[in-house]
Amino acid sequence: MADDAYMPADEDYAHLQKLSSEYAPEATGPLVGERQSSAAITTQYATADPVYRVKTAALPAKYAYFRTCRGDGHCGWRAIAFTYFEALLRVGDVGKFEDEEARLNSLGNLLAHIGYSRDIWIDFAEEAFELLRKLAHSLRNMDGQAAEILLQTFNDTSESMAIITYVKLLASAWVQTHSDDFMHFVPMGDVKAYCANNIEPTQCEADNIGIAALAEALVKPAGFGLEVWYLDRSPGEEINRSFHSEPTDHHHVPIPNAPMLRLLYKPGHYDILYKAGDVPRVHHQPPPPQQSLHVALANSFDDFQPTASNVADVMTMIPGMYPTGLGQRWPSLSYDFSPSPASCAQVTPIQPYAPVPTPITPVSTSHLDFVTPIHSGHTSQYNRPSIHSIHLDQPPVTLPIHPPPPPVSIDRAAPIGLERGGPFRPSMYELEPGFGSSMQVQPFQTSIFRNSHFNTAHYMNPDFEPEQWCPDGDYSNGNKGRHKLQSS
Amino acid sequence: MALSNSRPNGNATVAARLQKELMDIMTKPTPGITAFPDDENMTVWTATIDGPAETPYADLVFKLSMEFAPTYPYVAPTVLFKTPIFHPNFDFSGRICLDILKDKWSAIYNITTVLLSLQSLLGEPNNASPLNGQAAELWDKDPAEYKRLVLARHKAPEDLDA
Repeated sequence: MADDAYMPADEDYAHLQKLSSEYAPEATGPLVGERQSSAAITTQYATADPVYRVKTAALPAKYAYFRTCRGDGHCGWRAIAFTYFEALLRVGDVGKFEDEEARLNSLGNLLAHIGYSRDIWIDFAEEAFELLRKLAHSLRNMDGQAAEILLQTFNDTSESMAIITYVKLLASAWVQTHSDDFMHFVPMGDVKAYCANNIEPTQCEADNIGIAALAEALVKPAGFGLEVWYLDRSPGEEINRSFHSEPTDHHHVPIPNAPMLRLLYKPGHYDILYKAGDVPRVHHQPPPPQQSLHVALANSFDDFQPTASNVADVMTMIPGMYPTGLGQRWPSLSYDFSPSPASCAQVTPIQPYAPVPTPITPVSTSHLDFVTPIHSGHTSQYNRPSIHSIHLDQPPVTLPIHPPPPPVSIDRAAPIGLERGGPFRPSMYELEPGFGSSMQVQPFQTSIFRNSHFNTAHYMNPDFEPEQWCPDGDYSNGNKGRHKLQSS
Repeated sequence: MALSNSRPNGNATVAARLQKELMDIMTKPTPGITAFPDDENMTVWTATIDGPAETPYADLVFKLSMEFAPTYPYVAPTVLFKTPIFHPNFDFSGRICLDILKDKWSAIYNITTVLLSLQSLLGEPNNASPLNGQAAELWDKDPAEYKRLVLARHKAPEDLDA
């Protein structure tokens, strides 16, 4: 503060100006994220400007899913390239991958025309061709890995940067070989200089010209359409479409039901949008209501970096369940339902449930607060346990407590309790000393019980303890968790 | 997760790319420029540029260092003149003001294109944004004095390390 008295010299101003102009928020998150419910966008904007709130609240109804791209200056190019490959997967025709490789190879003519010989671009193109081949191979073998291969490739810095470099070169070549179409939109009509300054540099964000060029060079010849939806503070109740390229065939006849590549543009950043119908295999996707359920439990909306793994780890929300050593913990959970006098009072289904003011109450409330603006349709469901149980009937939340547990001795349970640190209060049932050896009763197994709020795993249960969500933990084991869940 | 995995991968890519560039430079040498890695991990190279004929730099040889980040070619190499040089766009520490080494860098550039760009910059300085104001001023006003200062500052590569 004392330093304020002194007048900074010009160099200091210059230095500050330099710092300010070079400032870029540190880009985090995966290069391309998992597809997730677009309700998460509504959540992100829940405390934003009213225009944003209205627009993002209307978003999930039309665009059920979205996918983040890391905001590192490549996001627009990355989003187009990723959705192009993803649309090919949606078509699911192995032959089309070969056609596309041949077609992209033939675009070498365009690159040669602007003075780029094959050896300049082939290393970058080869990564794109390699990805086409890998995806085709996976489709041919029907191993179900194609989507994962695509996501992994785009999350590999080196591979994805090569592909991004290649599509940028295609955009540059297209602009320069179609200068009549573009010269009126670039300074001095100099398309070559424009491309050298605004498309080819490694660090340059995709602009309208680059996107229009890729729509023509990459997207349309593949039979796809491309649209960009703009989320900004302009007046209105929904996002507006700022760019549209109709899917047409060689004779400019619109192709019905062609895949559309959809980008969501927020000033300075591109993500990927999906309509519900764009998503090929819905059963692979967790239903949105459950996603928001988990989001609410995370209790950390600002830092929310959603991935599908948020949903996948739903089992870890259950009291007594921890991300590590899942199998080990199941037995202790089963003993929650022992008819010992202490626990009987809480778990016996015949006893009428009376809401008890306990620490869970704020959780449910914040949950409702969160859901209300997004899924007005779902809100009421969360208020009624009867309907709520329908949600829990869906596979991802089914609690696998049916396998009869092996007897658990106290010796074994005690160390488990000790090793657990952190903010969790263990369930009063979990470590009840002595019950493990004295009780040999089958736990409750009916789905009615399992899905009811009498189950301590149910968030309406007074003893329900939500797992605290840790973004870092989710990223480190997220994908694996998801697979486990799907395969079980 | 994906990122931490890609780090070593990135290093492998940069090594492979630099190997390929070295091969190209060895098999198809470009007159007037040389470049060779300092050691086997290839991240630092030493290059030379011959001063273009009919410029104040004619018949002079300039030594440079090039350093490559693990993210090369997606970020520009760090290039420095090791030979003291008098030029509007290079400062007395050998730092270079050239857009393609800064924000206009593109992954399609390589060692040869960088060295050729620097060579042409020797003969055609960009006097609009000089690092060395005196050189920018003398370039047009007093070519003889300019040439004198170039020669006064220059050192032959073999004298550099001494």
